[in-house]
Amino acid sequence: MDLPIYKINSLKHSYGSKTVLAIEHLTVQPASIVGLIGPNGSGKSTLLKVLGLIEKPTQGKINFNGHLVEPFSDEARFLITMLPQEPFLMKRSVFNNVSYGLKLRGNGRDITDKVNQALSLVGLDSKDFAQRPWYALSGGEAQRVALAARLALKPKVLLLDEPTASVDAASAQLIKEASLRARQEFGTTLIVASHDWQWLYEICDEILHLFKGRIFGTGRETIIFGPWQKLGPNKWGKILPNKQQLLVPAPPDQKAAAVIDIMSVSEDGPTIASEEIALWGTVSRLSLERKTGQLFATILVGDLPFTVRLTPQQNKKHAIFPGKTIHIRYRLDQIKWV
Amino acid sequence: MNFLLEGFFEAYRLLVSGNVETYSAILATVKVSSYSIGCSLLLGIPLGFCLGYFNFSGKKPLRTIVDTLMALPTVFIGLLVYAFLTHRGPLGDFGLLFTLPGIAIGQTILALPIVVGLSATAIESMDQKLRITIMSMGANRRQLFLSSLWESRHGILAGAIAAYGRVMTEVGISMMVGGNIKWHTRTITTAIALETNKGQFGMGVALGLVLLAIAFCVNVSVSFLRRRY
Repeated sequence: MDLPIYKINSLKHSYGSKTVLAIEHLTVQPASIVGLIGPNGSGKSTLLKVLGLIEKPTQGKINFNGHLVEPFSDEARFLITMLPQEPFLMKRSVFNNVSYGLKLRGNGRDITDKVNQALSLVGLDSKDFAQRPWYALSGGEAQRVALAARLALKPKVLLLDEPTASVDAASAQLIKEASLRARQEFGTTLIVASHDWQWLYEICDEILHLFKGRIFGTGRETIIFGPWQKLGPNKWGKILPNKQQLLVPAPPDQKAAAVIDIMSVSEDGPTIASEEIALWGTVSRLSLERKTGQLFATILVGDLPFTVRLTPQQNKKHAIFPGKTIHIRYRLDQIKWV
Repeated sequence: MNFLLEGFFEAYRLLVSGNVETYSAILATVKVSSYSIGCSLLLGIPLGFCLGYFNFSGKKPLRTIVDTLMALPTVFIGLLVYAFLTHRGPLGDFGLLFTLPGIAIGQTILALPIVVGLSATAIESMDQKLRITIMSMGANRRQLFLSSLWESRHGILAGAIAAYGRVMTEVGISMMVGGNIKWHTRTITTAIALETNKGQFGMGVALGLVLLAIAFCVNVSVSFLRRRY
């Protein structure tokens, strides 16, 4: 196996007294695509800033390509680049925005060709766009120009923070395609934070789920966030809009999140044993995990999404499709709190 | 009100006829304001960048001091600079009293807090995403500093224009430190004060219009530069 491009152990990052990131261990293989998922405030952007050497972690070191690095390290600053969530361009023309990084590297030769190539990668015609000022672009175009500025550098690592969150569908598609071409053409390692789970599961070699600054699981877990209600003596949970009760063991605190492992799915109401809970819901989405070929179903129970891994047999037996009503079953004693 | 109209005609006559006294005052004004604004930009922009960009203990009190100094009365600066440059003062040996460089020192003290304060404001209002963008493109510390300055250029330019306006129009420093010596340290503003005292309103208005014309030219040039860059 190749030397990991990133290797991190016991890394912490805080803003004031609040710890926003606590990574025990993380390795990223070169030329892989890693997805980061998690709710807002879970630490995805902070992790990207730390990996992108924009911020120095409060504790711990980043090993990049065999070197211990920090912001402005010569071993890494020309190899890693990051695209922030909101489109942002410097106050200069499109050409000067895209060529900025090349000029920093003293890479002055063929600069026009490189800029033109990068713009075409993101679906922008350099004749139309190169001389436009920064303010004469739509949000989607600005984000594509910002991505072109990164792609022109042929980076070893490209960190994308919700790259498609604030753009239209057409721009989102072009950004997705351009990001993947970076890996194909330059062998770039992609680390992508996104709420577009379906896209991530399609493209990623590995998915990391972040919650409260910690990495746990692969994002296929069903996580239900508090607050929790006391529904009776020793009975905690939530009353869902369709009158069903989602029951959980006593939570450690009102805002704790429950990780629920779904045991099985069935078309009819299942017979349940003690400590087991059954709920019914509607299949809202089916997705395929590229790396494993595994099929996952997202089932909306009331307004809460549950994720279920489907075996080929289960899928064949129940003929699951979006819109179908289905029953799920979980055990109270297998719920974990985070 | 006839003297105002006379002033316009007088201004036209003085400028077109190449009146030596008028042009001497204009030259002195342009010279001294260029020296002072040059020095205050050279010192003030880096200081303003540091004040706006870095977080350090004592930053807030320092900011309050700079903001207060933006309102320094010109006669007070004149008094202090006079005290330092007079023969009995600590810098008396340099012989700067009643010279254009002497006035420039006072005007630099006047302009410096304006440049520092408004540059710091421009840097503080810089989008946090700019820093991420510059760093993520591979900039080192020096490149981050220069690129951040360039991106804040419009705010810094506004500060420079405000400072230039203050320097061009002040009377107190020029009068006290320069002494309003004809052909030597007489600037447009001190000349206006003198002509008004003499009852020569027309000449005063003429010089005032010249001052306005210079300010207009500076602003047109700056607007052109802003559009260009």
